[in-house]
This record gives sequence, C-alpha cells and structure tokens, in this order.
Amino acid sequence: MTGEPLIFDDKEIFLENLRRLVREGVPKDSIRTITPFAVPEVQEILPQPRSKVRLFALIGAGAGTVTGFAFTILTSLSWPLIVGGKPIVSLPPFLIIAFALTILFGSLSTFLGFLLLSRLPSIRSIRSEEEYGNAFVILVEEGRR
Amino acid sequence: MADTEKYARTDQDILAAMGKPGRAYLAGLGVTASLAVIGALLWAYQIRNGLGVAGYTHPVNWAVYITNFVFWVGIAHSGTLISAVLYLFHARYRTSFNRAAEAMTVFALMVAGLFPLVHLGRSWVFYYLIPYPTQRLLWVNFRSPLIWDVFAVSTYFTVSAVFFYVGMIPDFAVARRLTEGVRKRIYSLLSLGWKGTEREWRHYNKLYLFLAAFATPLVASVHSVVSWDFAMSIVPGWHTTIFAPYFVAGAILSGTAMVITLVVPMRKALNLYRYITDDHFESIAKILLFTSLIVTYAYIVEFGLAWYGGNIVEMESFRYRAFGDYRYFTWTMFFCNSLAPLALVARRLRRNTAVLLVVSLLVNVGMWLERFVIIVTSLAHDFDPYVWGTTTVYAPTYVEVGISLGSFGLFFMLYLIFLKTLPVLSITEIKEHQ
Repeated sequence: MTGEPLIFDDKEIFLENLRRLVREGVPKDSIRTITPFAVPEVQEILPQPRSKVRLFALIGAGAGTVTGFAFTILTSLSWPLIVGGKPIVSLPPFLIIAFALTILFGSLSTFLGFLLLSRLPSIRSIRSEEEYGNAFVILVEEGRR
Repeated sequence: MADTEKYARTDQDILAAMGKPGRAYLAGLGVTASLAVIGALLWAYQIRNGLGVAGYTHPVNWAVYITNFVFWVGIAHSGTLISAVLYLFHARYRTSFNRAAEAMTVFALMVAGLFPLVHLGRSWVFYYLIPYPTQRLLWVNFRSPLIWDVFAVSTYFTVSAVFFYVGMIPDFAVARRLTEGVRKRIYSLLSLGWKGTEREWRHYNKLYLFLAAFATPLVASVHSVVSWDFAMSIVPGWHTTIFAPYFVAGAILSGTAMVITLVVPMRKALNLYRYITDDHFESIAKILLFTSLIVTYAYIVEFGLAWYGGNIVEMESFRYRAFGDYRYFTWTMFFCNSLAPLALVARRLRRNTAVLLVVSLLVNVGMWLERFVIIVTSLAHDFDPYVWGTTTVYAPTYVEVGISLGSFGLFFMLYLIFLKTLPVLSITEIKEHQ
C-alpha cells in the first residue's frame, strides 16, 4: 500500500527530494520511483543488489554451447556417414553451430530473465489507466514515512 | 522550460510521424506493394513452371537469387553495428539511426530468408535444411556451410527481432499514453504494462547491455558464414581466405548506405531535423567512408592474391572478371564502392545530405553488383573451359529481375508500414540525452 505520490516536473528537484527523504530516515526499501527514462542517480541513492539478469545470460549462453556441441556430435554419431572426407566428429564446423546457439540461447534466456525479474508482462499495469506521463514520481509505502 | 514540457514535445514530435498518412506516403506504399505483388506472382509462376524460367545456364547455377540473398543479409548488418556496437561504445549519434537501422535489419532478413526458398525451385522441401528427427533417421550434414547458414541467419533474425522489440518497450508505453482506441490497446499489450519503475529500469539496462554484447559478435560471424558458402568450395574466385573479413566489411558498407538512403528522406518527410542533425549524418558518413576503404583494400588484395599466387586458373578467373563478359558490372562496382565514397573525404560533402544520398544510392547499386560479379563471373569461368564461350553467358530472365524488384518492393513496403505504426526514433534515449 503506497501513500500519495510525490510528482516532480524536474529531474534535479526529484533527485533532491529523493535524497532528502533518505536523509530524513525513510527506509530505502519503502521508496519506489517512476521515471520517464533510466536515471542512474536513483541507483546511487537507493542502492539495489546487482541485477540477476546476468545469471540468465550466463546460464543461457552455457546451455547454448553445450546444446550446440551435443546436438551436432550425437546426431553425427547416430548415423556415422563420412561426407567430403571429413571426420564424423568435425569440431571446427560444429563450433559454428555451437557459437550460433550460444548467442541464440543466451539472448532468449536474458530476455526471459528480464521478464521474470521485472514481473512483466503485468496484466494489472496493462489494464491500468494510472499514468504519470513524463513526470518523475516518488512513492513511499504508507506508515513508513 | 520544465523538463516534462521538453519531454512532452519530444513525444509529440516523434509520435506525430504516426499520424494520418499523406498522399505521397500512400503513393509510395502503393508502388512498393505493387512491386511486391508482382514479385510474388512471378515466384508463383516459377513454382508452376519450374526453375527453367530462370536464366540458369551450366555452369552458372547460382546467380541473381543468391546475389539477392547475400545482398539482403549484408544490408541487415549495419543495423546491428549501429544498435549494438555503437551502444557499447557510447556513441551519442546512435540514437538518431538505431531504430531505423534495427527495423531495416529485421525487414532485410525477412526478405533475405525468402531467396534460398526461391532459389530452391521446389520451395516446399525447404524443411530438409532444418535438423529434426525424421523417419529415415538421417540428420542434416553439419559439416556443410549451407547448414551453418541456416543456424547463423535464423539466430541473427531472432536476436535482431528481440533487440528491436526490447528497444521499443518503454516507447510503447509512451505511445499507449498518447493514442486512443484500438491503437491504445495494442500499444498497451506491446508495452507489457511497462511503468518505468526503478526495478524495471535496472533490469532493462542490464538486458539491453547483454543483448548488445550478444549481438556484437554476430556482426562479424553471420556474414563470415555467408562468405563460407563460397569460400569452402574450390571454385576459382571463391576459394580464398580473405572472404570472411571482405564480406563483413562489404556488409557494413552496404548496410550503412541503406541506413542513409532510408533516413535522409525520413528526416525530411517527418520533419525530424531537431533529432537527426547534420553532425549525426557526418558521423555515419565516416563509417561509410571507412568501410569503403576496407572494401577497396579487399578488392586490391583479391586481385593481388590471384596474381601473386601464380595459379593460372585463378589468374584467368580474375582477368575474366575485369575484362570478360561482365566487365561493365565489375568497373561499375569499382566506381560505386571505391571511387564515389571518396567524395566523403571532404567534410563539407559529408554534411551535405543530398550528396550523401547520392553516394549511398551508388553504394547500394555497387554492393549488389559486387555480389553478382563474385557469384556469376566465378562460376561462368571455372575449371571447365568447354563453357568459356560467349554462347553460355548467363543473363537474368524477366522472372529473376521481377522477383528481385519484388524483394525491393517488399522491403520498402515494410519500412513504410513501420514509419506509421512504430516510434521511428528511440524516445526514451533521446529524452535521456536532452
């Protein structure tokens, strides 16, 4: 449950007020902000843990590499047919497939991670008519101010 | 002026492009759609009558369709370069071009993806290229460059489409706010309910950074894989180790030229002078000039390798390229890709959008011809002297020309639709830098 939003037309005034709230002892975890674009200073004033999106990127990319090599090697071994005089398990060409799948799985998994961590898509927000336009907004949980 | 007023003006200026279309727009849409329909009808005609309606003549069995495939994949490259690479380098002028370049990448890949199907003749068996468990228990040959292409191009398309969409999520939220009715509902859905909270921005920035990092190697890898379709063979003129960097530089040159070709008229038609300045054009003109110099160097190295390598078949292949049946194409290619861009050495000309547009159109022509020259002259003059006579010279038929023009129609039609349906510039990034 959040209280009345504090709405600002100016980025600098918004940041000043945000700093003031923190100075006044309002718990940082009770403050939410809404901005029309990314404001790096917000992250400095209200430090958050590093985004876990990077873990999704790492796991996705790793899974892509393993899938790429496993898929090419196992399918080639399942019907061992020599083509063009090349070995059945030809790592250089298989590396190209593994590379493509690393990028593909890594990108898709990062996107999925972003959706999960940002809690999007949000049906409530899609249907909501609440709009702050281009304003900079501070929301503080009720009773914690 | 309060910050919010400044941002509101940016919203209005950029979303004004999505207003009611004028006559010129509708005429453009009509022409491009007609070309696309003609191309589709000719493809249907080819499917009905067989690949014989194309001008393939032994040994030229790769020609205009493959030229178009390589050309359109190449066009796609600059999108990733401008979006991803320039993002990683924090180049500010990127915001003027990135949305147009990303749209161009996605549309060019959609068009490119059609050409292997057109070239197949029996297009309906395209699924043989896809690795899936069949009743015959036989898998695709992963040692073949054609299969690498399937993976490289489909990965490129998927990653580019995700990158294009992700970049637009905050802008869809702006469009949702400023539109009504069905449009508002569609933009609401596309925005996924984006609000702009600090949590959303934190994860979003990370996502964008990682997508840029994932997409950056694709700039080099995808066209390298396309070049290996040729370089892995033993055909003289194709079998050379410089093909990968040569193709990548050519792809960036052609893609940058296409971005300029699209953005110069877009800026004028949508009155975006406040957001796309001459300084921005000057910066992108430098990329064009730089990649043109790399391509010129590759041309010199290619001929140098043939001469210094001492292989008489290779030497004959390059003599034929410069002085044989297709010599006019070769010299036009040199003029368009190597000489015309040198005009951009002059700062005054780099800042002149009319000159830039002419140079970029010439580069577009030159880069199409480059692919044609590489593919056709090499095949027409390979190890089989029996076919070296003029009677076997390959020339495209009206079906090939029509399908090629249809691909241009489809590409520009998709781009025109993009102008009226999606934010043409990255609104949030522009606000961030204001």
